Amino acid sequence: MAPLPLPAGIEPEDREPSRAAPAPRVVPRTAARARAAPTPAEAAAELWAGMQLPGIAPAGALQRLARSALQYTPRVSLEPPDGLLLEVQGSLHLFAGVAGLRRVLAQECRRLGVTPVLAFAPTPLAALALARAGKTHAVLDAAQLVGQLATLPLATLRWPEEVLGRLARSGVRTIGAALRLPRGGFARRFGTAQLATLDALTGRTRDLRTALRARVRFRRRRELLCELESHQAILATLAPLMAELGAFLMQRQCGLLELECRLEHRHAPPTCCVLRLAAPLADARRLATLLGERLSALSLAEPVRGCELRTAALVPQRTDSLELWQPGEHGGALSSEASGLIERLRARLGEEAIHGLMLLEGHRPEKAWGKTAPPAGSGSGPAPHRSTSRCSPPVSRRPLWLLPAPRPLTVRDGLPRRRGPLRLGGEPERIETGWWDGEEIARDYYTATDSHGVLLWVFRERQAPHGWYLHGVFG
Amino acid sequence: MDGDPKLARLLEHPALWRGRSAARLAVLPSGFTALDELLPGRGWPHSGLIEILTARFGSGELYLLLPLLAAVTRAVGARWCVWVAPPLMPFAPALAAAGVALDRVAVVGGARPLWAFEQVLRSGACDVALAWARAPKARELRRLQLAAERGRTLGVLFRPRSAARQASPAVLRLGLAPCAAGVRVTLLKGRSAARGTIELTWPHERPARPRG
Repeated sequence: MAPLPLPAGIEPEDREPSRAAPAPRVVPRTAARARAAPTPAEAAAELWAGMQLPGIAPAGALQRLARSALQYTPRVSLEPPDGLLLEVQGSLHLFAGVAGLRRVLAQECRRLGVTPVLAFAPTPLAALALARAGKTHAVLDAAQLVGQLATLPLATLRWPEEVLGRLARSGVRTIGAALRLPRGGFARRFGTAQLATLDALTGRTRDLRTALRARVRFRRRRELLCELESHQAILATLAPLMAELGAFLMQRQCGLLELECRLEHRHAPPTCCVLRLAAPLADARRLATLLGERLSALSLAEPVRGCELRTAALVPQRTDSLELWQPGEHGGALSSEASGLIERLRARLGEEAIHGLMLLEGHRPEKAWGKTAPPAGSGSGPAPHRSTSRCSPPVSRRPLWLLPAPRPLTVRDGLPRRRGPLRLGGEPERIETGWWDGEEIARDYYTATDSHGVLLWVFRERQAPHGWYLHGVFG
Repeated sequence: MDGDPKLARLLEHPALWRGRSAARLAVLPSGFTALDELLPGRGWPHSGLIEILTARFGSGELYLLLPLLAAVTRAVGARWCVWVAPPLMPFAPALAAAGVALDRVAVVGGARPLWAFEQVLRSGACDVALAWARAPKARELRRLQLAAERGRTLGVLFRPRSAARQASPAVLRLGLAPCAAGVRVTLLKGRSAARGTIELTWPHERPARPRG
């Protein structure tokens, strides 16, 4: 084949050496060019796994495989009809390198009844071409890429038959031969699209792939074969859906904060059961336990004919490192125990089941404290001792228990009674405040002992009719 | 028999308890010297179920525990201190004033207190859990004791004084009655041969009882 004339606009250094040049010399030159490409660092940092799946059933199976491949890397790209590409550079150390990835990916494929050909290369097209040629190489070094590709037939690039035919007639049957052709002439005679493919193949230009976007909500329905009434049986029918949900969450590296379970009946409107979680959760088994707790508390209007699981928007799961210490040992953290406890309590007893306590600024006893969210899992360290600030009442005069609302006491001879007369002690403490918000109080607080020796906190209204009330118990 | 080193090593095991011996128990100081003297191992046990029996709510049972709660919640890496189904709402300012770190305190409400108590004890998320129960069954108490051991939590169950006649798997049972300047504590059951009654005087934090 005669060397092709150089077209205008192509730089002389773009000329490939004559095709007589031995292959080993081609490799370093091409590699040097790859380094000169616009995004060399990024291009070099990628490793693509190309999967050729001979005899895979149409689109559906490929889609499913691609979705389950999302658990190994977030960058999965479809190459219909029978190819799949995964960018795995970041996942290598998580799955015991190339060999480990090969094993888990082959396992995924076997589950769908396909045997894949798996090849690894720094560019997506190269990985695909290797796989299509039936080679299971792992080319980790960009410098060796061209050398490895050189012997592959051009057919692996799936160019149009007509182009391949013309190339074959010129004696060009392998990728190596095509790469040795001068770029300008190649573009003119075989099309710029084919030149672009070659550039992408060798990493000269960046091959941008559309990543598969995973669905962000989970929604599955299951019709039951017979009507079910027992909670155990319903839970058992939900089990496959829960397993699917677990896989769904794992593929997305996400947890959920809200799970809705709808149980459908023949006549009655569907029973909804919403599980709200304290922290994002992705563990299907724990979700199933919680859902079981929630379902067992549910009363069903009618037998169940179908069930459906739905999630709200997902939350990215942050995986925490494991602690060296057991919980409670040497201050080992226990946020998982704590959030697990919160969820179990909430699932069985309702949202309000657990709360924390906090101080509020105020002299009125009712407004000196409030409920908060439950505390975080583990103490950050020794809390600074709360010294009596200017707002705090004298320590000795506050009871440990406060009644939700003051309870009126019976009065005889001007003195309060509760199962017998109360003995009042000490000087009263006057609390007179709150005039600004309409919940004004004006009270004289006393400590009092009842006939059984229980210490109480009582007050007398300053306003007429000067009623006596019980407000706290010292405990 | 005590000369056998193998046997001696076996007897060292923390799960093994010998009735008569002064076996070492992991304890938390109670904050009252006289009470420490009375309690087996000289303090509250680290984990397990204990019962405090009072004739009336508010006999001083909570003041007895305040130094413990303060010490436990303020420790480094403290777990929670959970109050399960308290009969009234614990008054946060008084707890804070007694030195209890409120950010370690959680209150579990209402229905099914025994189930909730068992969950709390079992979870391993708490150092101390307090619960009030009227008439738990022996089987339930056994479950609570096991749960407390498993979660390495000190579970304190407050029960009426009349329960003293029923058997209980709790590791420690104390009877409480108010007296002139404080509270009378009776050791009803404990992992030691000693039994006795002491009178505790409250430190100044609790107002003195009115006289006359």
